Amino acid sequence: MNHAADHAADTLGDGLSPLAVARPESIEQLCDVVKTRAVEGTPLFPQGGRTSLDYGGIPDAAGVALDLRGLARVVDYPAADMTITVEAGVTLASLQDVLAREGQRLLIEAPRDAEATLGGIYATNTSGPRRFGAGRPRDQIIGVSFVNAAGEVIKGGGRVVKNVAGYDLPKLLTGSMGTLGAIAQLTLKVRPVPEASALVWGTVAAIEQVAALLDALNTSATRPIAVELLNEQASRRVADGLDLPHGAWTLVVGFEDNAKSVAWQVARIKEEWAGRASALATLENAASTPLWAALTNFADAAPGDVSILANLRPSAAAAFAALLDASRWEVGAHAGSGIVRAHLAVATTLEVLAPEVETLRARAVADGGNLTLPRCPTAWKKRLGVWGAPRADWEICRRVKAALDPGRVFNPGRFVGGI
Amino acid sequence: MSTAVVNAAVRLVDELTAIVGVENVLTERDEKLVYECDGYVIEKNLPDVVVFPTSTADVVAIVKLCGRMGVPFVPRGAGTSLAGGTLAVGGGVMICLTRMKRIVEINIRDRYAVVEPGVVNVWLTRALAGTGFHYAPDPSSQTACTIGGNVATNSGGPHTLKYGVTVNHVRGVEMVMPDGAVIETGGLCEDDPGYDLTGLVVGNEGTFGITTKVIVNLTRDPEGGRTLLAVFDSVDAATETVSGIIAAGIVPAALEMLDQLMIQAIEAAFHFGFPVDAGAVLIIEVDGVDAGMEKDTAAVAEIVASKGGSVRKSIAWYTRKEPEYVAIWKSRKSAFGAIGRLSPTFCTQDGVVPRTKLPHILRFINEVGRRHGIRVANVFHAGDGNIHPILLFDERDADQVKRVLLASHEILDECINVGGSVTGEHGIGVEKMEFMPKLFSPEDLAAMVALRTTFNPTGLCSPSKMLPSGAACLERKGPGRHSPA
Ligand SMILES: Cc1cc2nc3c(=O)[nH]c(=O)nc-3n(C[C@H](O)[C@H](O)[C@H](O)COP(=O)(O)OP(=O)(O)OC[C@H]3O[C@@H](n4cnc5c(N)ncnc54)[C@H](O)[C@@H]3O)c2cc1C
Repeated sequence: MNHAADHAADTLGDGLSPLAVARPESIEQLCDVVKTRAVEGTPLFPQGGRTSLDYGGIPDAAGVALDLRGLARVVDYPAADMTITVEAGVTLASLQDVLAREGQRLLIEAPRDAEATLGGIYATNTSGPRRFGAGRPRDQIIGVSFVNAAGEVIKGGGRVVKNVAGYDLPKLLTGSMGTLGAIAQLTLKVRPVPEASALVWGTVAAIEQVAALLDALNTSATRPIAVELLNEQASRRVADGLDLPHGAWTLVVGFEDNAKSVAWQVARIKEEWAGRASALATLENAASTPLWAALTNFADAAPGDVSILANLRPSAAAAFAALLDASRWEVGAHAGSGIVRAHLAVATTLEVLAPEVETLRARAVADGGNLTLPRCPTAWKKRLGVWGAPRADWEICRRVKAALDPGRVFNPGRFVGGI
Repeated sequence: MSTAVVNAAVRLVDELTAIVGVENVLTERDEKLVYECDGYVIEKNLPDVVVFPTSTADVVAIVKLCGRMGVPFVPRGAGTSLAGGTLAVGGGVMICLTRMKRIVEINIRDRYAVVEPGVVNVWLTRALAGTGFHYAPDPSSQTACTIGGNVATNSGGPHTLKYGVTVNHVRGVEMVMPDGAVIETGGLCEDDPGYDLTGLVVGNEGTFGITTKVIVNLTRDPEGGRTLLAVFDSVDAATETVSGIIAAGIVPAALEMLDQLMIQAIEAAFHFGFPVDAGAVLIIEVDGVDAGMEKDTAAVAEIVASKGGSVRKSIAWYTRKEPEYVAIWKSRKSAFGAIGRLSPTFCTQDGVVPRTKLPHILRFINEVGRRHGIRVANVFHAGDGNIHPILLFDERDADQVKRVLLASHEILDECINVGGSVTGEHGIGVEKMEFMPKLFSPEDLAAMVALRTTFNPTGLCSPSKMLPSGAACLERKGPGRHSPA
């Protein structure tokens, strides 16, 4: 079978080697592999583009990797219905290419889109800057098929944009970290590519001013699709190779619509920001593409091996970002949605990091959110608690896992509460 | 009835009364009559008792009592379900949430509101007036239906094409599980670690537990919009226009269609100025920032003209309070009410087809109606491919009822044949359970049963709904009134 080149890279993540790697090239083959292996009681680890194999808790048993990149067919693309059905191994970039030929796109962003597969993106619930105006992966999915531990294909939802028959399995599988089954096929809503796209970049010296500008953006006359916040280290990384100004903080807002609307909104935001943000720069249409990509790829930027992710109320994002010492952390936030991400840019020890994480997490929890570690050395995972402060509803999560994967076949140990 | 049964019934009522107070319990037959069915009138059954909790603690005590006594219970909001979702199959306790009706919190900066389940959808819209924000899901029944009911059924409405359905706007719920445990899924912030239980709970049709609080997203109002009334000679021309608009890369906020019978009923009721001789009309709404409106409006008008239609009205709006804007939507959203002029009873179907199959399914509906001698009016969410054929009949005529059911089933089967679904927003309820095996494999259904059992292991919470198999299924007697209560 294919992908021979990176057999050397075969891993379950967290330094674990797979007992074997199965490379099914059809859903039927996938079912066969699962049936055979599950009967033996072997844990199974679904894999896509292998961009996030270390994400989550440490697997608590060795097992077989299911490399799903061979499931790469576009099953059905009725462009006039604005839906597409694809197998889970299709990469985001190749999917966007298919859609672009019809003037359409999927409103999902992920770093390393040439490698990241739709199955992996959905399992990990990956999102990018456009989530503020366009929604998250859960808002684009209308149908799912996954293979359960019995090797059966389980289907939820359908291929039409509105459908309330049965429980919403597509939502349940979104962000399930591969712990309920191997996602085999997805049906997604797609949208026309807008006529125009623009990003407005402005620097701000003081965090209080950032907070005030974010408050004002909430009721701006414009309707941004993205509201991003970067500290200086992050802005330098994101704008690498682009000729953009830097300051202590940078706000970036994105607009997408027909050309007249976007032109008006760009002019309008500059008025709203006049005297409050400096060094304004605007990137439009093709010129904005590299910056959109850089904002998306920031999630995967790798200055070190520790990253934290806080989910907060949007009003708390600026103050939270300011808690992070700019000489140590690169901070990038989907500020409109209250999602703050930071990469540790300096070497540290667990003894230094653990109390810092604890303090930050307590702040996030006090705001009604949480703080997870999308990236963290394997040896530190247990102590730092990669999934954040335990939530009461994890007990229900455990029961859901027990209902759909009672034998703990899929990705054992990866998800919240040791699921 | 044996003495033991009578004693148990008396004790149930006594204990319920002790929990919620005598003013919040209904036991008399004539008081309960309204609760024998919902908007789906083909099946009826009286609950043994109706209770109105006023707090989460009340709900906990009620379901614990039902659990102890082994009595089934069914949650009910406003009872506008069109699928028999609130039918008290097997009698038991109906838990009516309409007295838990506080808007607990509105937070504009963080774009959420916390509401109790009995809050009527439009109350939230009203409470938000002037803030620049709204709660996006706006089912046509919004002046009556509750947000708890909307969450249970994952309601849609005319504006889902651009803005999505209920599940896209719910951040979290508080739910009383059938064993009395109170759980919270999701929360005030997005992306809580764990499964998307909120996504799973929305649309459960009351089979998981009783929703007692909901955190909903608030959506920024558009700066303005244009609402067009486009008139066509034929249904075909209108459905082709729908496909044309989507294919042109325009995503309207709403794209609704009414056929001639519907236009006539609505015009007789509301005198908006709908052309009663037209074959069909489309209500096409675009919204966003004002600067972009002209362009989208012109593009839509061009497509309408290219399919032989004409734009009869173009309403520019900024506040949604403009009289013509209010009037056109009142007419559209009251369409089912206007049906009363045509027929004593009606049954609405809720199939979905890929948008490109609309011309086909409408011709099919027309043919089925003719064959069964049933008049059918159509008013529906065309942009989503979500049809609502309204079958007109007289429920006192058993033969008509039979023909309506036959016609309905043929229509829904055809929706499945062309790759669609039997319900876009009204739910499976009791009405469409037999279609589940046509949409889903035994394995799919087993997974769903396993999920229901996770939340509702005894099956006492809303038995015999949605899933045609599993522990929680009681024998139903089919159409008509179940017991001669
Ligand atoms: C004229 C008319 C127009 C309509 N238009 C639309 C439309 O445009 N879009 C649309 O989607 N629907 C529409 N409907 C259907 C209906 O209004 C919706 O399904 C609505 O969400 C039901 O809300 P309700 O409060 O009336 O719930 P009910 O009818 O009382 O209950 C509906 C279901 O929800 C469950 N339930 C209710 N409250 C709770 C709770 N607190 N916890 C757990 N379960 C609960 C019930 O058990 C039942 O299964 C329409 C109905 C009518 C009569």
